[in-house]
Amino acid sequence: MSASLGTLERVEFHVPDRRLTIEALAEPLGLSRPKLSLFRKVHGLHTLHDDPDSSLFDLVLPAARRVVEQAPDPRRIRWVIYAHAIHEVAPADTDLAAGIRDALGLRHAEAFALSQQNCASGLGAVDVAAQLLRDGDAADRVLVVTGEKPHSPLIRTVPNTAIMGEASAACLVSVGGTGDTVRSYVSHTLGEYAQLVGMSPEQAALYGKAYAPTLADVVRQAVAEAGLTLADIDLVIPHNVNLMAWRNTVAELGISQNRVFLDNVPRYSHCFAADPFVNYASLRDAGRLVEGRHYLMACVGAGATFTALTLTHRRGDTR
Amino acid sequence: MDKHIVAQVEAALSEVLEREITGLTEEARLLEDLHLDSTSVMEMLMHLEDSLGIVIDPENLDMEDFQSVGTLTAYLARVAPEPQLQGR
Repeated sequence: MSASLGTLERVEFHVPDRRLTIEALAEPLGLSRPKLSLFRKVHGLHTLHDDPDSSLFDLVLPAARRVVEQAPDPRRIRWVIYAHAIHEVAPADTDLAAGIRDALGLRHAEAFALSQQNCASGLGAVDVAAQLLRDGDAADRVLVVTGEKPHSPLIRTVPNTAIMGEASAACLVSVGGTGDTVRSYVSHTLGEYAQLVGMSPEQAALYGKAYAPTLADVVRQAVAEAGLTLADIDLVIPHNVNLMAWRNTVAELGISQNRVFLDNVPRYSHCFAADPFVNYASLRDAGRLVEGRHYLMACVGAGATFTALTLTHRRGDTR
Repeated sequence: MDKHIVAQVEAALSEVLEREITGLTEEARLLEDLHLDSTSVMEMLMHLEDSLGIVIDPENLDMEDFQSVGTLTAYLARVAPEPQLQGR
């Protein structure tokens, strides 16, 4: 039995109402018919949510507000972490983390952003939150906020890999509170793929070949550090990068594809760092998380960071 | 190897690899020699769906068919509709 790293007390998510097919993006993104077939047929990305008329605050605040409203005592939220994948989400003189904190009425809290692990920043923020809380007052909490807008064609796609949609998620992290027990967190970075844009086809192929074996290794390590085996994991709660990445990863792991929750891939596509939290909340709302069973959240950030986090579901106050 | 299919494979690979690919030999290995990965193999197949009139099921592929240009063209010859192979 491994020690608890922290507790996910509440997780909420939000998607804009407007939903479109990926075909609607073919022209603005300059996607050829074969590229579109790659995304729809091979990668399984069908629709995404997107509201070009709303702001980043409109996207991230609804989920974060619901978490704050349900917090045992919002005054004990000591830190607000805005974890984002895109490095430049706002002009340099705009402090988004502080803006989110203030809009939530949490001016007493310290606010900062995490971004360097790209889409893996969200799970990384849970680990940072647990470390901030360690050895502190048990009543203290950290609010982790994710969600961003693909504001340019360059950001809207990961070439040949994903099309990005809009969703936000927020979670409240404590140490020893009531909710899902975080049992392990593993992160591994392959710095040789740090070039985010303009990788040559040869470099991209090397990254492609390393992706599934590296993710599988990180998953196995997280499971082992939790004192568990893969057979103990009820479901993998993944990022929504695409179906093919997960088909390859489950083949590496030697598990069935139905052990990974992939229902949201065609619906939401890849929503930056928010995916594992969105998928967690979808599963919980569908009654698919079972008290006392173990789950594994996983996410990969370009650049390239592979993360996995195991948890044991405890209903507690977690909705 | 079927010359029509090889020409279509060269055209598809030129698109995927963003450089002109000509003179493919049967022995050329897709992953090691042409530096493809599973995603670029699939992208190539999506190009070939259009040019050869084939239908690919990504869930039911045998990667043994994508070891070399020879195994790839043999696979494509099996799944391509006959009219596509006429007039070569």
